[in-house]
Amino acid sequence: MNVGIREELLGQGAAVVGYAVLTGHLGAEIAHLDRAVSIGVARRLNEDTLGILARLQQRVVRRLKAQGYRTLAVPADSDRKRDTFVSKLYALFNHKMAATSAGIGWVGKNGLLISPEHGPRLSLTTVLTDAPLAADPPFAASRCGACTLCRDHCPSGAITGSEWSRSDPYVELVRLGECRGHKAAGRQLAGKPNCGLCITVCPYGRKNAELSRCG
Amino acid sequence: MVTEEKKGELLEKLKNAVISYDEDAAKEAAQEVLAVGMNANDAIFNGLVSGMVEVGKMFEAQEYFVPELLMCADALYAGLDILKPHVQQMDLGVRGSVVIGTVEGDVHDIGKNIVKMMFDVAGFQVYDLGRDVPLDKFLEEQIRTDSDLVCLSAMMTTTMTGMKKVIDDLRKKNPNIKIMIGGAPVSQDVADKYGADGYAKDATNALKDAINMVGSLKKMKDEAEAQKAK
Repeated sequence: MNVGIREELLGQGAAVVGYAVLTGHLGAEIAHLDRAVSIGVARRLNEDTLGILARLQQRVVRRLKAQGYRTLAVPADSDRKRDTFVSKLYALFNHKMAATSAGIGWVGKNGLLISPEHGPRLSLTTVLTDAPLAADPPFAASRCGACTLCRDHCPSGAITGSEWSRSDPYVELVRLGECRGHKAAGRQLAGKPNCGLCITVCPYGRKNAELSRCG
Repeated sequence: MVTEEKKGELLEKLKNAVISYDEDAAKEAAQEVLAVGMNANDAIFNGLVSGMVEVGKMFEAQEYFVPELLMCADALYAGLDILKPHVQQMDLGVRGSVVIGTVEGDVHDIGKNIVKMMFDVAGFQVYDLGRDVPLDKFLEEQIRTDSDLVCLSAMMTTTMTGMKKVIDDLRKKNPNIKIMIGGAPVSQDVADKYGADGYAKDATNALKDAINMVGSLKKMKDEAEAQKAK
């Protein structure tokens, strides 16, 4: 059902929109909302990405609710400050899992969602629902191939170089402690926690990038 | 003055905003209540709360599940935050103060927060200790605030046993204090065994029981004072 959501969102600033069926992948509390609209916005500097994501989410919610379906809008990971009742449930859910299931991309060696067109340069958000959305074909495996640019450039050596696949989703891609430690050190030194080299070097979605080693 | 018709329309709006977990609609309706000069108590009880009562029924009937329940509670608070400063005086027959918290070792506080919300809207003074609260803290806070009621919550059978100690300590200091317990592993049997005055299956029941308990406590106090006066 319900094509139209994708078209509407793409016209309102979304870079990618996918539908997923998540039956069996959700915690018991949210298991009845097993369809997902996964939304990605291309990150640009000096742009209110979180605001755009929230507005896109609201469009989906209004549209589905108007047709009598339930919705649960899970905000972007960097937008979880609000101390609300429902925010307790957000930890049960993973946007990247929804995005790979919705065919938006795979999880790269840098642990980030990589889309073929936009690379790791997407900000993600999800609306869960019980509306019978038809699923897009999910990604089953990584397309990073032999490319190890992110691992080679990671200043903290946090990237293990392992590859993600749907059948083995819990393999350690990034040693999070080391990544965090590096960012914390950067904050002390430069006042900014930003690193992001693993995003910058990723050839997917980068202009003039050489994709020959990826696969 | 507001016409009855407009009043009914706004109450319906508030109620539906809670039921359809629409925070924006709840805020909008609450603003409108203030704009037309409607009574805030009325809006809270006959609008927001009656919506939540409906939600409670839907939850029991398994039409709504935990996420919907939580989003409805968020919508209720969105409206309540706007209306609360304009509440003149709650008149429920009794007013009381309550200490509430989830016992040590337990970080589950969704149920506790919903019960707290019901006390909030009913005009109780609520001292919320949060979650994973050290057992001694309950007695300390009860003494500090001279509260009529202490509510303990536990989600796990392992942490539930901590409630027994809290109840014993409270009873030793103040035999008349009213104690309510709640949470997934708690039952009437457990309440009886631990010596609690009440056990709440859900938030609506917790509020009803609490009002009865505080009522009886106030009565006991009055009688004791009348005795002394003689």
